[in-house]
Amino acid sequence: MKRFFNKTLSALRSDAQLRVGVIGLALLFLIVIFGSVIATHDPYFYGPDSLAAPGQNGHLLGTNHMGQDVFSMLVYGVRTSLMVAITASMISGVLGIIIGGAGGYFGGKVDVVISELINVFLLIPTFFLIMLIVSLFGSDIRNVMIVIGLTTWSSNAKLMRAQALSLRERTFVKSAIALGETKLQVLVKYILPNGIFPVVANTTRGMAGAILTEASLSFLGLGDPNVISWGQMIYQGKQYITTAWWITAFSGIAVIITVIIFYMLGDGLNHVLNPKYSQGGK
Amino acid sequence: METILSVNHLNVTYVNKSRRVMAVRDVSLSINKGDSLGIVGESGSGKSTLAMALLRLHPKGTEITGEAMFEGKNLLTISEKEMNELRWVKLAVVFQKAMNALSPVHRIRQQIEDIYRVHYPKASSAEIRERAMELLKLVNLPPRVYNLYPHEMSGGMLQRVAIAISLLHHPQLLIFDEATTALDVVTQGQILREIVEMEKTLSTTRIMITHDMSVVATTCNKVAVMYAGELMEYGMVTDVLTHPHHPYTQGLQRSFPSLKGDNRKLESIPGFLPDLSKPCQGCVFAPRCPHATERCFSQKPPMFKTGESGGAACWLCEGEENGK
Amino acid sequence: MENNAYVEIRGLQKFYPHKDGKIFRKPGEEKPLVKAVDGVSLSIQRGEILGVIGESGCGKSTLGRLLVRLEDPTSGDVLIDGVSTAQMLKKDPKHFRRQVQIVFQNPFDTFTPRDTIQKILLRPLKHHNIGKDTEERLEIIRKALEAGGLRPAEDIMSRYPHELSGGQLQRISIIRAMFLNPGFIIADEPVSMLDVSVRAEIINMLLDLARNHNAALVFISHDIALTRYISDNIAVMYLGRIVEYGSADEVIRNPQHPYTRALISNCASVDPFETREEINIEGEPPTPINPGPGCYFAPRCYMATEECFQKYPEPVDLGNGHYAVCSKVNCAACGKCNPSNSNA
Repeated sequence: MKRFFNKTLSALRSDAQLRVGVIGLALLFLIVIFGSVIATHDPYFYGPDSLAAPGQNGHLLGTNHMGQDVFSMLVYGVRTSLMVAITASMISGVLGIIIGGAGGYFGGKVDVVISELINVFLLIPTFFLIMLIVSLFGSDIRNVMIVIGLTTWSSNAKLMRAQALSLRERTFVKSAIALGETKLQVLVKYILPNGIFPVVANTTRGMAGAILTEASLSFLGLGDPNVISWGQMIYQGKQYITTAWWITAFSGIAVIITVIIFYMLGDGLNHVLNPKYSQGGK
Repeated sequence: METILSVNHLNVTYVNKSRRVMAVRDVSLSINKGDSLGIVGESGSGKSTLAMALLRLHPKGTEITGEAMFEGKNLLTISEKEMNELRWVKLAVVFQKAMNALSPVHRIRQQIEDIYRVHYPKASSAEIRERAMELLKLVNLPPRVYNLYPHEMSGGMLQRVAIAISLLHHPQLLIFDEATTALDVVTQGQILREIVEMEKTLSTTRIMITHDMSVVATTCNKVAVMYAGELMEYGMVTDVLTHPHHPYTQGLQRSFPSLKGDNRKLESIPGFLPDLSKPCQGCVFAPRCPHATERCFSQKPPMFKTGESGGAACWLCEGEENGK
Repeated sequence: MENNAYVEIRGLQKFYPHKDGKIFRKPGEEKPLVKAVDGVSLSIQRGEILGVIGESGCGKSTLGRLLVRLEDPTSGDVLIDGVSTAQMLKKDPKHFRRQVQIVFQNPFDTFTPRDTIQKILLRPLKHHNIGKDTEERLEIIRKALEAGGLRPAEDIMSRYPHELSGGQLQRISIIRAMFLNPGFIIADEPVSMLDVSVRAEIINMLLDLARNHNAALVFISHDIALTRYISDNIAVMYLGRIVEYGSADEVIRNPQHPYTRALISNCASVDPFETREEINIEGEPPTPINPGPGCYFAPRCYMATEECFQKYPEPVDLGNGHYAVCSKVNCAACGKCNPSNSNA
């Protein structure tokens, strides 16, 4: 445990991108936890001041056409974004690791089927598919998260498959087989833990993608009307863009910052976890 | 005998963020014209570091002190430009993996022409071809190799091409850094024999860096044994490999089985290589030495003379020197 | 072939499809095959060490992998104590794994980098139900490590593989194989990645295994001197087939097959005074894609005649179990036509 802690510290020290990502993520989580304290108003409350400019009547970043406080909406929007990012990429990561790992390790016909499946998923325009499914099955935020997860696992699977393909030739895998461990044991105990890290980094970067996808869906009017999301704020604000720029501008900036944080985190993790970059003991 | 290269008190230290690894420590040796010197040692002995330092191919930030005199110039201090003029022309090297040294997208012909023209920009293709044919014959390769791509050749052929290229400008000193290690027994045996044969006509001087005592035994007349960055023993191959003076050389000798001779019991040297980032008082080999005394741990032994032209850095040889 | 042999290898073959990039073939055109192991039959007694030598690509490592069943043979079988391993593997794979163990070439890659030695060594013990609880298993590990000269055991057990030296890791690898008390052990180039000064301890450990634990050991190596040192018998492989077999001293000191002679004559020796005959053979071993019909070595052989290209030769018995698969070998043995003369 101490070892792990030390390693984490030295990784943080060595990579600036990772540092930015971790600090950013911590801030986002703080906003989620203390959201009700930070928010100056109830974001669901339709106030009397509609389209108030920033600073007017105690509205830090102004209000929208319904009189909701933009700042408070942004604060509550973090919750939605993080939830979408984490749930969707968890689904995509777990699916990718299991499917890709099994394909690469078992090889043969299993692999033929799996790699074709991966190719198909990489080829189809996922956003179009997501749009289709959401408009067919309703735009509940849970649907959105699951659909994003189910359509983006292929890049993780591709990475994990490549890892498994090279890991299965490693001596420690051969020696586990020679010692009588079953294929499933080898997959779970050797292939997955040794090959998982590039996938973790990729999944983290996938979180940025999930946030963008959710925002895009909302912007197209396919968002969940019952939650506050930045994409929806942009969608609703776009008709007032000439008179009340603050609605779209601030929610847009929030999306950009969050995406950058996750991207930094993913890239930083990739640097630290990729054996090509890390020095010394594996 | 004319000395062609003399290395005096060479120290090479790799500097890394957190530590300093003293890979070569106070090594002095010289090589005479026409000699073939084998530098043997295990991993971590500093043998390759030594060669890289002589060729100035060491990584950036490496600290080097001492001197290496070659043709009246100190290889360690001359300018990069001067060094470039020496490389290939007077000083050539063959590495372990020739396939990495040759460009995969160019024919051998182009690569030889390019290297030739670095120093003789006006040389005609016909002239270079003539020289190349001479060399390919010398390393037992058919002329058709000249027009092949590296991937069309086997490992042994590539290694021969690398040797031929190293000879392009009649270098005075050839350095082989584990040049035959990656090859199969038969190919290695044949190339080693060709090298020895070749030198009968070329009169080059050769340094052979290897971990394999048997390669030194078959191709060299002198040997230097390195351990943990220091020179342990040197001398004629026939002396050192048959009657080693230094306990480390003795230990190495006992770890090699003979091919056809009697089967004596193999013994290993117990213990590990010391941490090269820590300074060492006394003899570096003392912790693993079966004959170590208290003095060995506190005082570093100087190089004592053994026999006519040999030397061993071991207190055991002190009496021997006086006795003679 | 003796019937009381502990391990009996019968006509083992392993062919791989050769990927030549052709999708369409003429009707009747056969797919090219790489014959990595092409009909190997050998027998090994308990307590015997059999050395297998040859150049890279001769199929010796594939043979090793077939013996431990990391790969399945195309045809042929291996019998241990008269029982077919193919059937053993079907009925009770764990039993097979306990009988046959392997020591790999690369000790730095033999253990998963993410676990400590203790965790790594506990796994096979648990898997094969050796020792009744973790406490007892730890005791077994401790004792084995100390007996293997890895002291202090507690310290070694808490380490990660990358914190240990190659020699230590290879000893741990042998110790781990020994936990299962196997009767048949394959050592595939076990010292080629180790430093010279620690090779001897691994070699002596393997010798001890065969002599004191009465195991049959196959020692696969390209180092001829070392193989002669450790082995009782030596088999020389070329392009997937055994070309010469006999007691270690016989094969090395009195090689009969032209390939063995070339191999030994080109082997560098530590003794600067040793005289050797000079035999040059052309080129390097080709990939064994549909070789034959004649002797596989004939294209490089300095003794080959017309008949060598027609038919694969039969083994020639040279007495005391020594045999060579060469049609010229009788001729070589009689001494009337010394083959080394024909090679000037």
